Amino acid sequence: MSTTVEPGLIVFLMAFLFLFLGYLGVPVPFALASGVFVATTLTPISMQSMVGQLFNGLDSEALLAVPFFLLVGELMTSADVTRRMIVLAQTLVGHLRGGLAQVVTVFSMFFAGISGSSTADVAVLTKTIAPEMDREGYDLPFIAALIASAATIANLIPPSIMAVVYGATGSVSIAGLFLGGVAPGVFIGIGLMIFSFLFGPVGVRRARSSFGEFTEATKRAALPLIIPIIIMGGILTGWFTPTEAGMAAVAYIVLVVIPLLRPDHIKHLPRDFVHAGLLYSIPMAAVAGASAFGWMLAYLRGPDVVAGWIQHYAGTDGRTIMLLLAALFVIVGDFVDAVPAIIIFMPILLRLQELGNINSVHLGVVIVTTLAFGLITPPYGLTLLMASKFCNVPFSKALVRSLPLYVVFLSAILFTIFFPEIVLWLPKMLLPESVGCFKNPAGTGYICPQ
Amino acid sequence: MSNASIVLQRDRHLKWRAFDPLEWLLMVLCGIAIGGFSLSVLCDIVTRTIRHPWLWLQEATSIFFVYGSFIGMAVATRRADHLYLSAITDSLSGTKRTLAETFNRLVVLACGLLMVTFGYTNFLHGFGSFRMPSLTPLAWWYLCVPVSGFFICLFVVEQLVNGWRNGFEGQPRSETEKEFTI
Repeated sequence: MSTTVEPGLIVFLMAFLFLFLGYLGVPVPFALASGVFVATTLTPISMQSMVGQLFNGLDSEALLAVPFFLLVGELMTSADVTRRMIVLAQTLVGHLRGGLAQVVTVFSMFFAGISGSSTADVAVLTKTIAPEMDREGYDLPFIAALIASAATIANLIPPSIMAVVYGATGSVSIAGLFLGGVAPGVFIGIGLMIFSFLFGPVGVRRARSSFGEFTEATKRAALPLIIPIIIMGGILTGWFTPTEAGMAAVAYIVLVVIPLLRPDHIKHLPRDFVHAGLLYSIPMAAVAGASAFGWMLAYLRGPDVVAGWIQHYAGTDGRTIMLLLAALFVIVGDFVDAVPAIIIFMPILLRLQELGNINSVHLGVVIVTTLAFGLITPPYGLTLLMASKFCNVPFSKALVRSLPLYVVFLSAILFTIFFPEIVLWLPKMLLPESVGCFKNPAGTGYICPQ
Repeated sequence: MSNASIVLQRDRHLKWRAFDPLEWLLMVLCGIAIGGFSLSVLCDIVTRTIRHPWLWLQEATSIFFVYGSFIGMAVATRRADHLYLSAITDSLSGTKRTLAETFNRLVVLACGLLMVTFGYTNFLHGFGSFRMPSLTPLAWWYLCVPVSGFFICLFVVEQLVNGWRNGFEGQPRSETEKEFTI
């Protein structure tokens, strides 16, 4: 590499420019691209190839799944079909202490199985349950904190947009990441329910729903609840790739769910598509900038430098490497959106994965869980920002109420690091090849790496 | 779909009404792009299932996807719908605000100009490489970059001129809000 400026200095300059411009108010894709373009002038790389890198970052088949999972969330929210799932969640847990708080978490777990978008989840919950919680005496900062925390589950329980981006850029099995995300997703869900039960506001105690009410609510929510079966069933049976599964879910909503449940919404479908068309391009623009940034970082041997630092403290112990990476990503997630963070740091992750001999799906789940936590941490906690805005409560107050909930997330991160056998149990059972297992040549079953 | 239903009315003081039809058109193109690649993925599955795959569908999917992404990138610039880390600028006022907003937009303008200039060079070089199986020149894929860059520059100039005339201060932007004036 014939450059007159020290590569470390260029990396520092890139990172500084990105953060400085980003926090000044330059949109993320352009803040990233600016850092890269300035760095390009200090290296022998041509500007033409770096502009081309913006395009190359998006030219990936796996990324096609992102718009579909956003479109699913957009259609379900816009058609207001989600209310049926809220009613089902109410019949299940509405009678518990802090009933509506429990409903928020259970609904988020249902909704996570349909849409990969936390922001759609926040939009639904703040519109529907938040006003009712307010009437029942839950304080607004708690409502915002809980909704924001529960919405992060959408990034863990499949389908998850973060998992798609991680899989697409790191060449990791997306289906494996989907299945691996279930354990931390359920862990966080149960953790939030326990917290609400023990420490949250009491709310109004309701009578337990009768079996008849539960059956009726299940019947009414049955059509939307088939969507997770279509998505995961299609992927696991090998019928669909994740992209095709997303498309199948969209087709099911447009052709079955909306005509049967909200026929009057059909005339609004073109507007939903236009909205979703813009919505998917926003993270994709960040992907384009982040790809160029990640490429330049790799060219400047950034991964080797960071890997060197981490190796210095962790040696080649996989768990210690993951702990240090989790600590790094907790900090990164405070400042940078998850999608660009994954792409920028992917060369470093791949290097460390190799160094620590870590299962690629396991590491992916750890990183996605950590970045999901970043959605509720300041200053750039996107779902907390949204929830506090929609609940009309100052961000600082919502932040204070979310601090105790951090325990749930930190426990979930440690759980994913220290219990790979539980995290990888589902992928090993349902899709063994996704975690590196191969068919036993001597007979039935699979041989899996330890 | 009426113009008012999809053209964002926020930050009206930074926009020319004459460009509203352009925003409307680009938004509709985004919708067509996502509709187009949804349809092409659906056809891909169907034709594969009936064992008569149309291989060119994957190329169609890819071209819809990249054009949708880059057109969306351009229109999101006019609507201030991009992801933002923060907007320290929003908390400023007076001359400081004008200077900071101008600087931010000049950064975006520089990126847009680079996308136009070097994206166009890539477009010209793209006639020497081809996508399989249709052997369509890659240039038609690369074209989305300078096109997007052109619209980004156009919208930034619109915001700069109007900002200098009317001031940049207005409703604070939000990275979370997707306003549609229905």
